[in-house]
Amino acid sequence: MNMSVSIPSGVLAAALLCCAAIVHAGDKVERTVAAEARGEVAIVNIAGEVFVEGWDRNEVQVSGDLGGDARLDVTSAGGRTSINVINVRGNHTHSATDLKVRVPRDSALSVNTVSADQIIKDCRGAQRLQAVSGTIATEQWEQELEARTISGEVSIRGHDGVAQTTVNTVSGSVSLLGGSTQFAVETVTGDMRIGVRETGRGRIRTTNGELKFTGKLARDGRLEAEAVNGDLDFTLREPVNAQFDVETFNGDIVNCFGPKPVKMREYAPGNALRFTQGAGDARVRVKTLNGGVEICRE
Amino acid sequence: MNEFADQERIDPLDQALAAVAQDVQPSRDLWPAIAAALGEPAALRAQTVHHGIASRLWLQLAAGLLLIVASSFTTYFVMQRSQQRDAMLAREEAARQSLQAPALPVMPASFGGTESLGSGYAQARASLDAEFQRRVAALPPTTRTRVQSDLAEVRRTAADIAATLSVHPNHPLLQELLLSTYQSELALLSSVNEMASATETRL
Repeated sequence: MNMSVSIPSGVLAAALLCCAAIVHAGDKVERTVAAEARGEVAIVNIAGEVFVEGWDRNEVQVSGDLGGDARLDVTSAGGRTSINVINVRGNHTHSATDLKVRVPRDSALSVNTVSADQIIKDCRGAQRLQAVSGTIATEQWEQELEARTISGEVSIRGHDGVAQTTVNTVSGSVSLLGGSTQFAVETVTGDMRIGVRETGRGRIRTTNGELKFTGKLARDGRLEAEAVNGDLDFTLREPVNAQFDVETFNGDIVNCFGPKPVKMREYAPGNALRFTQGAGDARVRVKTLNGGVEICRE
Repeated sequence: MNEFADQERIDPLDQALAAVAQDVQPSRDLWPAIAAALGEPAALRAQTVHHGIASRLWLQLAAGLLLIVASSFTTYFVMQRSQQRDAMLAREEAARQSLQAPALPVMPASFGGTESLGSGYAQARASLDAEFQRRVAALPPTTRTRVQSDLAEVRRTAADIAATLSVHPNHPLLQELLLSTYQSELALLSSVNEMASATETRL
């Protein structure tokens, strides 16, 4: 109805939208909003990079270069600050938006990205980070951290303090170095490098990834590792006081502590290694199908 | 006085009995036959006696044997029925207890390749997989390829372990790793679904 009127109106509206998009396309943006010292900051970005840094102000500052089809939406209410990069056209073709976000140092942080890398520094609150086709690099202090990627590497540098770390990648490698005493790391095809100061509770699982573990076992610590095809290497710092229970179906077992593996069944593959080193306070349990296992001291 | 006089009177019946003869003479002499019988050889009599004793012993032995066999069969049947009754009672008790006990959660798994997965597992997996197919289509092409490749790898691994398990059906390590691989598959599907939806709703 009223085609003679609506067509010019539509053209005008399209022209205005185009102008608005031009205003945003490739724009440098900077927004600052008040925030609580221990509030929550949630960031979503589709394509590009997210750099988050903790500072000592009770403000959230967002700056960056917006992609051609993107606009920036920043809201803050009830202790929660939301930062969304929104694709104006609503399709799945995104131009990259690079964001630099400063948050109160003790904020809890939640970051979701697609085709975007995350770099996080000096953020000491709890972190929940997810990336689809993007890497995550962060630091951890005393609060818990959960990092999940699909097709993306995860790198965590831990500082002193008791913390819990959960990492889950589909096809991304994991580097967890320092700090955490409780961790759970799981990959499908990604390799893992874990070098924690002391392990209280550790759980590692991979389908085809390989593990290099270096660390000390806490008194009464528990370390469990399971692989289907990947090799699992453990280098343990002295003193080592643990009971070991290692079993593989087809893999080789190398033990630098002395005791040799034994064949478990007469008519089926399978090797097992069970021994106690020192006082035997901690427990180490390792299972593989085809992956080899090596246990040595540093 | 008259009574005594009646008793002293002679009864006619007594008179008749007194007239009956006191002995009867045999019609022939029986002694020669008796003497012949008394003169029979002792060995013959002993043999006859021994034969009788042996026959009785055999009969007693057979009877004892028959008794033993009969009592053994009786005991066997009694015990058999008792055991059957005990077993039946035990089965009934177990069935009753299983009806009273809370249902255990079903562990969905295919061990050995001959048993199908639990229906609950299959439904959950099919549901997750259907959503996964929708979500993965929205991912960037490179990521989509990697994720699909990884999922295929996990499924291939599960199939390999299941095949190996069919050769070594009671291998606990294989069972453990197979279960773990099934869990990895579900975790992968739900992880992609969750993460893709978390960003998709914000577009």
